[in-house]
Amino acid sequence: MEFSTHVRERQWTTIAGYGLFVALMVAGYYYNITFVQLGLIDLGTRLVGMSETAVSMWMAALALVTLVVAAVAGVTMDRRGWSTDLRTKLRLLFGVVCVQFALTLVAPMVRTVPGFGAWIILASIGLGVGFPVSFSLAIDLVPVPDRGYVAAAITAIAYFLANAIPLSWSVDIFSRLMVAAMAPGILVLGILSFANVDRLDSIIDALGVQHETYGRGRFCYDDLIRTRSLAFAIPVVLMFGVFFIDSLGFLRIIDTPSLLLSSWQSPEFSTRLFIAVAHVVGAVMAGVIYANYSLSRIFLWTFTLFALTHVMYTSDLRFAEVFPAIAGAGTSPLNPALYAIAVSFYTTLNFAIWPDLSTPETIGTHSAIGIGVAGWLATFSSTALALYFQAADLTLLSHLNVVQALSLLLLFGLAVGLYVNRMIELARENGGASA
Amino acid sequence: MSPTEAIPLLIVVLLMISIGGGDVQDMSVTFQGDNNIDSLADIHVVAGGTTTVPEGATVDGDIYVIGGTAAIEGTIDGDVTLLNGNLSVRDAATVTGTIQTYSGSASVSSDASVGAVSQFEAPTPSSSPAQRIGAFLLQFLVLGGFGWWLVTCHPLVIENVGTAITEHALVSGVVGSLGATTLLVLFVYMAFTLILLPVAIIGLFAEFLIILYGQTVFGYLIGRRLPIERDGVATLAGIAAFLLIFELLGLVPYLGGITQLLVAVVGFGAVLNTYFGLQRFEPVAIPGGS
Repeated sequence: MEFSTHVRERQWTTIAGYGLFVALMVAGYYYNITFVQLGLIDLGTRLVGMSETAVSMWMAALALVTLVVAAVAGVTMDRRGWSTDLRTKLRLLFGVVCVQFALTLVAPMVRTVPGFGAWIILASIGLGVGFPVSFSLAIDLVPVPDRGYVAAAITAIAYFLANAIPLSWSVDIFSRLMVAAMAPGILVLGILSFANVDRLDSIIDALGVQHETYGRGRFCYDDLIRTRSLAFAIPVVLMFGVFFIDSLGFLRIIDTPSLLLSSWQSPEFSTRLFIAVAHVVGAVMAGVIYANYSLSRIFLWTFTLFALTHVMYTSDLRFAEVFPAIAGAGTSPLNPALYAIAVSFYTTLNFAIWPDLSTPETIGTHSAIGIGVAGWLATFSSTALALYFQAADLTLLSHLNVVQALSLLLLFGLAVGLYVNRMIELARENGGASA
Repeated sequence: MSPTEAIPLLIVVLLMISIGGGDVQDMSVTFQGDNNIDSLADIHVVAGGTTTVPEGATVDGDIYVIGGTAAIEGTIDGDVTLLNGNLSVRDAATVTGTIQTYSGSASVSSDASVGAVSQFEAPTPSSSPAQRIGAFLLQFLVLGGFGWWLVTCHPLVIENVGTAITEHALVSGVVGSLGATTLLVLFVYMAFTLILLPVAIIGLFAEFLIILYGQTVFGYLIGRRLPIERDGVATLAGIAAFLLIFELLGLVPYLGGITQLLVAVVGFGAVLNTYFGLQRFEPVAIPGGS
């Protein structure tokens, strides 16, 4: 691990870079999985008085606008050379955090549908600019060999906090917490971006040139990966698949009180702590696998875990269907714990893969398209499908059965794809069959 | 009791019913609440809540208890099997068949009329020093023989697994824990289909063998550090030392068990990572370091 080398050699500036990246990404991701994903549902349904379907449609709109804004922001960053200018990126991030701070502050006061819509559009712009900028900081702050471990640390901390801290999924509570956390963050980012202090300038300058060493991602050493190449498109499609099945399944699980109250919203602290620890374990495992195996192996593990999770969920439901008396009984925390491990796996992968598929010249575009298509477009489309399922009165088992089928299909498809790829390689190496 | 917790015991019940020639289709299960039963669909499984056969009632069939409480006050024309949970056979109760207790808590009134009462005594390795020594020697003979064969006939194979343990313990541990857990869950669910039960049993046995393989390699690694020249003898001595340490670890509460588990998963992962020792494990080389 490079980190231990830096500690031994007392390279405190580089170490501070690790810390800055982890802190920024944890804050951003925590905000996303709590305030954006859960707080907005509460805001729309409880305070504005919209139906769940209407709120879901607005959430889908948020995902779509974020994707468009991110693509524009990412391409602009690369074309104007902002991707390689740390100070510019910090200033952009400062602007984004200020916008989000203001939006978070006023969110609990929104009471009308047009107000909610305006909030969504403004938030989309902030998020759309924010994530390519924040992901592009990896090329300045995180050495390539350590990206898996750093991604694991971000995932572990964000999910542990989100699950272990007993917060009600209410926009008022999220807003108060976020505002309190963002205020010092804004101050620090403001100082880093604008303060004219020699010592600070030298640190930012030192970090700013690190992209010359760390800029070229792990998968870009043999061949440069172009945005329109298969080498980039395949990970995007695979990540889209993971985000899609996760979102499609989770949307229904959190809509089912018996599943939710026995897991993520359990009144028992021990249950939530168990899930939080499972997230940490999953993230550490993913970090180790990412740093020691090929990309295909990481994807295989991720898909295997998802397939297994959904097999367990649907088996339980089938079991309950055969024995209806069980329907009212609580569910085991083993299923959400396995789910947590699977989620941590792909989240870790998501934090590491886009910088590793990029160079300093493509980081903005690749992270925008990668996370935009895989993350936000998947969320948009899975929300739309979930709404269709809701309109069609699909039962919980039928809904999760679709998710299980998709996860098994993805696993099977990847295994076949890897096998075929190896066949093609062999055919090319030998010019046909060899003895 | 949740489905995930109930499934393994239900599999056992299904197996017992199948072996006994019963019809699984006629099985009913209660998971919660207070239930009085005065008729049975051949077989009834108590998985949770309290199920009572009230005084004066006569039911024809077998009862299996895997969770919750079964209270027998009336007459059961059949057997009662307790696998987990509580069983209470009251004064006025009659059980024409056998009350078989495997685990859980059973209370059978002396005034109750019971065909036979049978208590399953699981063989415990710690029941007597002679048994413990016998089990230890058996383990030593199996692992020692395997280790001797590997070191003398396939030294590179055991060396590869040993290197994966010493140089990549974390990776081996992660792959071991992921692999072992995933396979365990898979085999349990395969067993539940009944059709794949033989495959599941073979799979679980294979998992167990892989753990033993890992333990053999741990013994080999200890043996290498002993001042013994002959590899085979050193491995035998190492395996004996390993088994002894492993046994002693079991005496330490919590920490001992955790260490035993860690050793098992690291060994498991090292065996998988090296394709059973056929290939040296090398992590991918990531360029771009300083």
